[in-house]
Amino acid sequence: MAPVLEVEELKKKYGSLEALKGISFRVEEGEIFGLIGPNGAGKTTTLRIISTLLTPSDGRVTFLGFDLKKNPEKFREKISYLPEEAGAYRNMKGIDYLNFMARFYASNESEARLFVERAIGISGLGERLKDKAGTYSKGMTRKLLLARALMTKPALAILDEPTSGLDVINSLEVREMIKGFTKEGVSVLLSSHNMLEVEFLSDRVALIDRGVILDSGTPRALKEKYQADNLEIVFRRAVQ
Amino acid sequence: MKNFSHLLIKEIKELLNKQLIISLVVMLMIFNFIGNVTKSEMKKAMARQKIALLDLDKSAISRNIVAALNMANFIIVEKSGEKEKVVNEIRNSDLDLLVVFPPGFGQSISSFQPSQLETYSYLRGISPIGARKLDIVNAVLRATNDFLFNDFLKKKVPDLDPNLLKAPIKSREFVVVREQMAEGSASMVIGSLLAQSFILPIILMVIVMYSAQMVITAIAMEKQNKTLETLLTVPISRGSIVTAKMLAAGLVGLLSATVYMFGFRNAFSFTTSDVSQALSGVAPIMQQLGLTMNTQGYALFGISLFLAILCALSLATILGVLAEDYRTAMNLQFPLVFLVMIPYFVSLFTDINTLSLPAKILVLAIPFSHPFFATQNIMFGHMNLLWFGIIYNFLFVSVMLWWTARIFSTDRVLTMKLRWRKKKVVL
Repeated sequence: MAPVLEVEELKKKYGSLEALKGISFRVEEGEIFGLIGPNGAGKTTTLRIISTLLTPSDGRVTFLGFDLKKNPEKFREKISYLPEEAGAYRNMKGIDYLNFMARFYASNESEARLFVERAIGISGLGERLKDKAGTYSKGMTRKLLLARALMTKPALAILDEPTSGLDVINSLEVREMIKGFTKEGVSVLLSSHNMLEVEFLSDRVALIDRGVILDSGTPRALKEKYQADNLEIVFRRAVQ
Repeated sequence: MKNFSHLLIKEIKELLNKQLIISLVVMLMIFNFIGNVTKSEMKKAMARQKIALLDLDKSAISRNIVAALNMANFIIVEKSGEKEKVVNEIRNSDLDLLVVFPPGFGQSISSFQPSQLETYSYLRGISPIGARKLDIVNAVLRATNDFLFNDFLKKKVPDLDPNLLKAPIKSREFVVVREQMAEGSASMVIGSLLAQSFILPIILMVIVMYSAQMVITAIAMEKQNKTLETLLTVPISRGSIVTAKMLAAGLVGLLSATVYMFGFRNAFSFTTSDVSQALSGVAPIMQQLGLTMNTQGYALFGISLFLAILCALSLATILGVLAEDYRTAMNLQFPLVFLVMIPYFVSLFTDINTLSLPAKILVLAIPFSHPFFATQNIMFGHMNLLWFGIIYNFLFVSVMLWWTARIFSTDRVLTMKLRWRKKKVVL
């Protein structure tokens, strides 16, 4: 089966700082692929490049056969990106925000309505969607944004630290949301420094540190390889 | 196109929020209040002036002068008694001027000796309009001297018109503008031009400042609310995002400026209407001199203004990208405000053509300057300067838009920041 996303020798420099030193990985259809690593490892830079926010210094990214440098608009049509510190328009009601975003992806009104209805279900915010986003708690905002990212059933959802700043209950709900959606054929590329979360969610993971992928595979295979109980220990041993 | 209009509507809604509408309404109310206060003060200053008069002379001449002052549009409140007492009494009244005819005043005049009447002006505060009341001292003296002079001449040479003796030389004034010439007063023509153009620099300044402020705020708020990254990943071109932001800012800025100007005009309408009324006779002279704007002139002025607004919007967009939040955005507006204020004050207080060459180059290098001088250039036929402004602004806008589009299509839209400590732009 052809991968949804293929990253080959991806490099990114910020002046003299080399944030990515040639990383490669693939995301298959319907799988959750996790990038794990500490802060500053290069996770967000990788996700930002794939979501067309940053331009790569070198290397190749192909998504559904399209090249990132030549067809960034094709990426934008089929990819949903949830940044780590994203927010919603504070003066917009939650429902209006979903409507606003849905129209960019929908080809007609009825499709836009379908997206919004799906988002209402995903978010679980109910009546609170009629309130302005500025009145939402961090957890509610995150749910709204996740619903926005998933409502179009993108070919690839890129989620940067999806449970960042959330309490335990909200984190669990968000993880269930993500897990549930891949059953409908959505591929997910997520990053987190919470390795236990990634272990719970991901079909396959890549360990990234200082712009280099140290190893990759299923959580189970990695644990066996490094003779560890969890991915945190796997990561520590991989770094060593 | 569908996504563009969708984004444009969202941008307009974001900018045209409750806070902006409330601030515009409050501004209109403040203007209305200022207008009412100023109008009533002006009315008082323009009304027949009340003056107190103490006639210690009681001669025929002094009585005649009192009668003449009455006829010369003054309301005379006659006082009697000792001078010191009257001077003190008026301190506590609403009268601002006391005229005293000292004893022997009529006698001195009859014997052609220098005569003095005394005037006491009561200052009760300072205001430009209130200061006009003090002119009545001169008006009283002028009216008194006129009366005495005419009276004397009538007695001595009954057949001669006193006015002919006072001003034996009459002049015919002509005004020349380029190839055109018309009979009339140059000061009236200048007065009429200034009265008509009084409001224009203010309109220009407000439009440019409002539009720039809107676009800086729009981008800074996207950054502050952390919505910019998401917006940049939706399926819409970066060019459309920039254009929607600039267009929305331009439209809302124009609307705000219109409301502002409506309030301003209402508040200060007395000034322009009074002057226009006084100078209405100048219109045919102006027409004869070609000092009126035709359709082509208005079109050229419109192009000049449109390009200046685009310059402001493109500059503001780049400044908006540099801003990290709303607070920084407010600070970043200062350079723009400063650049608008320079041509504003130059257009109010001086003629661009009389500035020294370095000063002229400096002013004309500011893209916002050109519409400030466009009407003057059109009316006085300085077409080279006008076209220079249009071409300069066109090139400026092209470079700025190209740069803005480049910033938005690269990493810089997210990574460009102003670092105050290092005082440099990090790209």
